Amino acid sequence: MTLGTQEGRQPRAVADLLPVVPIAVVAGGGMAAVVATSWGLMPLYGEPTPGADGWRQVATDLGPAVRETLVLSVGATVLALVVGLGIALVLLAGSPLVRAASLAVLAVPHLVGATSVLLWLGDGGWGARLTGAGPATWPELVAGPWPVATVLALAWKESAFVALVVLAAVAPGHRERMETAATLGARPLQRWTRVLVPSAAPALAATGLVVLVYSIGSYEVVWLLGRTTPEPLSVLSFRLFGSIELLDRPAAAAAAVTGSALALGLTLVAVAAGARVGRSLGAPS
Amino acid sequence: MSATAATAVRRSATGLALLWLLAPLLPVVLWAVSSRWSGRARLPQELGLDGWTAALEAGLAPALVRSVLLGLAVAAVATPLGAWAGRLLGWRIARRPRLLAVALVLPVLLPPLAVAMGLDVVVLRIGVPGPLAVLAVLTVLALPYTAFTAAAGFARVGPGPEEQARTLGANPRQARWLVTWPALRRSLAVAGLLAFLVGWSDYVVTLLLGGGQLVTLPLLLGASASGTGNEPTTAALAVVAASPGLLLLVVAALVLRAARADATGRSGRMAR
Amino acid sequence: MTGLALERVRHRYPDATVDSVHAVDLEVASGGMLALVGPSGSGKSTLLRVAAGLEQPTAGRVLLGDRDVTALPPERRGLSVVSQRPHLFDHLDVTGNVAFGPRVAGVPRREARTRARRYLDLVHLDELGRRRPGQLSGGQQQRVALARALATGREVLLLDEPFGSLDAALRSAMHELLGELRAAVDPTVLLVTHDLDEAALAERVGVLVDGRLHQVAEPGELYRRPATLTVARLLGGFVEVPGTVVPTTGGPQHRSAWGCWSLPGDAGAAGRSTSGDAVLLVRREDLRLVPDGPRDGHPTGPGVRGRVVASRRRGVRVVAVVETSDRSRVEVELAPREDVAVGTPVGVRPTDGAAVWAVDAPQCDPSSLTRHTRHAAHLPGSGPRACDDALRD
Repeated sequence: MTLGTQEGRQPRAVADLLPVVPIAVVAGGGMAAVVATSWGLMPLYGEPTPGADGWRQVATDLGPAVRETLVLSVGATVLALVVGLGIALVLLAGSPLVRAASLAVLAVPHLVGATSVLLWLGDGGWGARLTGAGPATWPELVAGPWPVATVLALAWKESAFVALVVLAAVAPGHRERMETAATLGARPLQRWTRVLVPSAAPALAATGLVVLVYSIGSYEVVWLLGRTTPEPLSVLSFRLFGSIELLDRPAAAAAAVTGSALALGLTLVAVAAGARVGRSLGAPS
Repeated sequence: MSATAATAVRRSATGLALLWLLAPLLPVVLWAVSSRWSGRARLPQELGLDGWTAALEAGLAPALVRSVLLGLAVAAVATPLGAWAGRLLGWRIARRPRLLAVALVLPVLLPPLAVAMGLDVVVLRIGVPGPLAVLAVLTVLALPYTAFTAAAGFARVGPGPEEQARTLGANPRQARWLVTWPALRRSLAVAGLLAFLVGWSDYVVTLLLGGGQLVTLPLLLGASASGTGNEPTTAALAVVAASPGLLLLVVAALVLRAARADATGRSGRMAR
Repeated sequence: MTGLALERVRHRYPDATVDSVHAVDLEVASGGMLALVGPSGSGKSTLLRVAAGLEQPTAGRVLLGDRDVTALPPERRGLSVVSQRPHLFDHLDVTGNVAFGPRVAGVPRREARTRARRYLDLVHLDELGRRRPGQLSGGQQQRVALARALATGREVLLLDEPFGSLDAALRSAMHELLGELRAAVDPTVLLVTHDLDEAALAERVGVLVDGRLHQVAEPGELYRRPATLTVARLLGGFVEVPGTVVPTTGGPQHRSAWGCWSLPGDAGAAGRSTSGDAVLLVRREDLRLVPDGPRDGHPTGPGVRGRVVASRRRGVRVVAVVETSDRSRVEVELAPREDVAVGTPVGVRPTDGAAVWAVDAPQCDPSSLTRHTRHAAHLPGSGPRACDDALRD
């Protein structure tokens, strides 16, 4: 039963957009400002000096930075998805302890996770101590040629996120689906590969995108655990931003804009691909 | 696969999952209670709370207070805003639902560093106090979480009970306060918790826009962790920073265990 | 061709204190159909799940043909199940769903989909092959589920209240479809249902109450000769007259406050005692009212006197509630366009050719056995004792 257009039910157009305003002002305004800064239009002092100086300054560093960012982001995403799916399977079998642990990990700040990984995998870390390896034999996992520590730290927390979202998506009706598949002749492994994982696919795709984008923009984890050259985009832009040279600001902004463009670009690609997949499967009207 | 083999697999998988989730925090706990753990020793040689004294000297207490206040402030602003958006989405009464959804997803996609960097100049030029700018940005970052959590809650409750209250004579305000909000308590609590965690955990925005006055727990931790030789201090700071998570672990474990025991007790009487 | 047999199957849920299924023996002939009816909670679905391998029996065996499949998991048993909810896979289109069985059996994709289309044809859904489950109506989804189960090529089909959530018109269409499918594919079918009309589609019907099989017979036989009072009450429409059966030279006779009724010769068959307390069962439509009848049980035949205490409409007919001389109440359906005033003294008599049957009177109050009583006359006599293990075989 509906009560039609009673007050409090159908908001006025203004009220409808109330939550959008702060987002537009803060996020939209911030993005506009950083783009402007990268083109020299928003200096800290004095008159704007439009030009591509900032971009030129950072041009040679951008390539390696983008590559480094992508390596660690994709690595973290893949690891988080694989482990997250595994944890979701454990959660499906029912385990209050794992569920509690996943929730707890979600609530721990990324920086704490990064600190823990540092204490495990650093040169004087617990890993080295437990295995008795000296500084010469312990591999360079922190600030090494491959962003192992960074990927592990990011994936650790994000896997809990993936697990809980996949669980929420797949748990309803899970038992019935598995039983139905069994009565149709599917063996346990087939039930997983042909029914469970496909039904988790949308959730995995969505969380994968979120993790990827987050990793691209992440700062503190990458800063603490990554190597100094080449720097990923977030570390590069932060360093330039904090430099005494005011002229470094536009360069910092350029690096930040590149990171944002990367994140947005990948999102658009993913959404478009998702829409195409949806259409080819005959998405319901 | 036999039943016993299946149980064994499930048990080891559960163990592995727990290991992955909890083992990373072990060295933090160990370092937090050691006063001497030098060289290549497997375990701390001496236990003590030296790290905690050092952390307190470094400003743990005021940083903790600031973090709590920041978290509470973000929750206080982002939860009502998120609830408003969540109602529009969950009850499908938004006029432009797509615009709303896209807007809400934006803060998740855009790197906070870029947004904070852009706003830094604006904030300095306009003269907005640092902490306020931090609060504004963190609120916007928390909005997606509060809004979608609230939306799920609203979708689950539905406008039905509120409409029913209206037919029983309640005016719109009464219907909302007496019927709908109590039903949404749990969702809103979760939304508030998520917003609190956004404020509690943030590093980059606080560092960039805080103007140096807003030294929160993560900032202190970051500074300590990037240094060398002060592992006990770092660990103590990390433990405090992780305390909401550890608290949640204990509470969630108790709640989930209780819910399970309750369900088993009830099913015993179910004869089919 | 394989038949299905359940041998002394017992089942109890892990934290339950009583068995949900007590030592049931059931057999479905190869290519035949057996319907299992009973009130909710009687254990029919549990029995079906045991047959399918989704539950393990506490005791007993499940046999497919002459193979003991009790220890086999559902995927290796060789029977397929259709439940009340279709449980179609959302990530596959309709053809993909129906092709699922052949695919997991190793059939190549193209061939599996071709096979699937044939089964979709059988259920008249061939044009919907590319749709997703979410785009189909409830009835269409259930048809896909049927096609999917049949496409596995298995010879035994278990149906667990498959049409329960459909409306009446759709349900009769499904009954027709089931008949077509049986003619085309010739599966062995075990159908669980609480709808007696649906059960009548089967060659044989089993009545399961509180985990015990009371009777397995042809549908007609069930109505003519219910084995126990519980079965009669489940079927509904009987008037019960408590009394005793006495063997006489002319055959067994039932004596009660209603008089003497001659019972069919085989009323004492099947191991039932030919004497002792027994409840006479008369079909409600086999009774009529006569004005101010003669005194009870007199020359004009069995019957009872009473007074009309209420009358109500049931559809186009009027039903008169008569309180008889022994304080029990009997509902009698009046002839079309007949009516009678409340308070009229009347007699209740059987119509010519009325068939009667008698079942053993239970040792205790049967009203505690089954919740599904449709028409029970009040049992006079000594106070009822609570029943826990009534109707021991």
